[in-house]
Amino acid sequence: MSGELLIMESLRLGYDREIYGPVDASASPGEMIALVGPNGVGKSTLLKSISGIQHFRSGVIRLDSRDIRKIGHTEIASLISFVPSQSPRAKNLSLFDMVSSGCFNRTNWLGETTEEDRMLIIETLDRVGLNGFAERDSSQLSDGEFQRAAIARSLVQQSGIILLDEPTAFLDIENKLIITRLLKKLATEEKRCIIFSTHDLQLAIKLCDKIWLMGSDGFHQGAPSELIENGAFDTMFKDSTLKFDKTLYTFV
Amino acid sequence: MRPGKSYFRIYAAIAVSLVVLIIMNLILGSVIIPVRELFASITNSSSISYVNDILWNFRIPKVITALLAGVALSVCGLQMQTLFRNPLADPFILGISSGAGLGVALFVMGSSAFGITMAGSIFFNLGIAAAAWAGAAGVTLLILLVSHRLKENSSLLIFGIMIGSITSAIITLIQYFSSSSELKAFVTWTMGSFSGLTSAQIWIMSMLVFPGIVLSVYNIKELNILLQGEAYAKSLGLNLERTRRRILIATTLLAGSITAFCGPIGFIGIAVPHIARLLFRNADHKVLVPATALTGAAIMVFTDMVAQLPGQSGVIPINTVSALIGVPVILYLIMKSRFA
Repeated sequence: MSGELLIMESLRLGYDREIYGPVDASASPGEMIALVGPNGVGKSTLLKSISGIQHFRSGVIRLDSRDIRKIGHTEIASLISFVPSQSPRAKNLSLFDMVSSGCFNRTNWLGETTEEDRMLIIETLDRVGLNGFAERDSSQLSDGEFQRAAIARSLVQQSGIILLDEPTAFLDIENKLIITRLLKKLATEEKRCIIFSTHDLQLAIKLCDKIWLMGSDGFHQGAPSELIENGAFDTMFKDSTLKFDKTLYTFV
Repeated sequence: MRPGKSYFRIYAAIAVSLVVLIIMNLILGSVIIPVRELFASITNSSSISYVNDILWNFRIPKVITALLAGVALSVCGLQMQTLFRNPLADPFILGISSGAGLGVALFVMGSSAFGITMAGSIFFNLGIAAAAWAGAAGVTLLILLVSHRLKENSSLLIFGIMIGSITSAIITLIQYFSSSSELKAFVTWTMGSFSGLTSAQIWIMSMLVFPGIVLSVYNIKELNILLQGEAYAKSLGLNLERTRRRILIATTLLAGSITAFCGPIGFIGIAVPHIARLLFRNADHKVLVPATALTGAAIMVFTDMVAQLPGQSGVIPINTVSALIGVPVILYLIMKSRFA
């Protein structure tokens, strides 16, 4: 299909042994996709495999219809950015310097940003609601602010796809909403493809265009309503008495 | 670098202190040289002949050695702390000083077995330096060989510490079978010293340290990314293995060379980066590398000056002084930043 930015075919995750597979899925520009599944199923591994920082066993990942294994790491970074679940906080690292690392592949040998990129950083901080924070010590930010900073850092990377590993874990309900609305806005207004892992099914169902479900019986892809209809959520947990409630969007 | 943020004043303050410390270092010692004679000797020649002799043959080489050691060990410690994101990392955390020590121990044992005269001779001193450097480089080489198999920096750290431990154990074993004169030659090396280096030795040391500094400057960009975690660094396309390799080579050139000629100088490599961070309050290595180099040079020259203070009655080992004056300084700075 044309217009698809990311395609995975018969992807099997893992390095020495298989962790999960096969995964067949796709993502297009402007789509917001939630990756859900039980703990330890391999959500992080899938995200890391897509972003090229972890090997996978077999199958194909295509970025712009090119095999990811034939694309250099630097070029992958221009197509995909990754927001790890918990980035270490470096003391005395200013927010500006933290976000500017997203420009890594465009800076000179000393890592100095261009005037253009400096403008972009300031403007991006503005977009994530951290205007005036540039000089702050990034390690002193609240969890919600830090997560927005990490998103700003991935935005200045100017990639079409942004992968986020549990961006709303550890956040209170207000910050959870701020982050998810921000992600939604980036998908609809900037046509970025946003893929994030989460345990919050209600939020995923309400906000996302598509859900990737790493169930115990296999991988499912579809619009939230489709997955609800065909009972895919019930396969999420193996040998469990938990039932998915189609009206509450949660397990009971 | 952030626009509009200037550290000129702090840099200038440290640079001025450094110059003052260098002058004091040259003045003080078993013979106190009057300031006027010092400048006379440097610009032209002092009318007092022993002043020229002391300055040009002893104190100036010694202060240059201290400067090089201060810069090299501090910049090296900074890179280790960033690479492992561990505030306790120092230049020797991967076993470089143990490797150098093993080289020296083997050389001391071997040279006496072959009847080469002990301590003092130029060949002996150069031999010790060569053996120490070979030992340090050997350890680095070993770590480089396995480093591509270790996916995370923390495994690299454990591997390095293990190599250090086993090397130390071998040194102890060698010491056990050494004569007392061999033991003394070895222990003297471990105490650290900036004295007695000939200009040829200083040249060799500078030739090794200089590329190490250049490489460290080249590492700045990657070091800044490493601050934010390995997973993120990789996602930016940073080649972790190549970056590690470059940092390890810089470490060998810097810490390995200084250790080879001066012995394992402790404390400076771990403390100076912290002092620089507290002074500059910035994690950016574009600021920290020069800051650490400058601060390291100043503290090392000061340490060496204190070591000479007993005057006529001898010299305190550098390692003793660096711990005695350094530990309170770093503890004070930590307390201040915690509770301020």
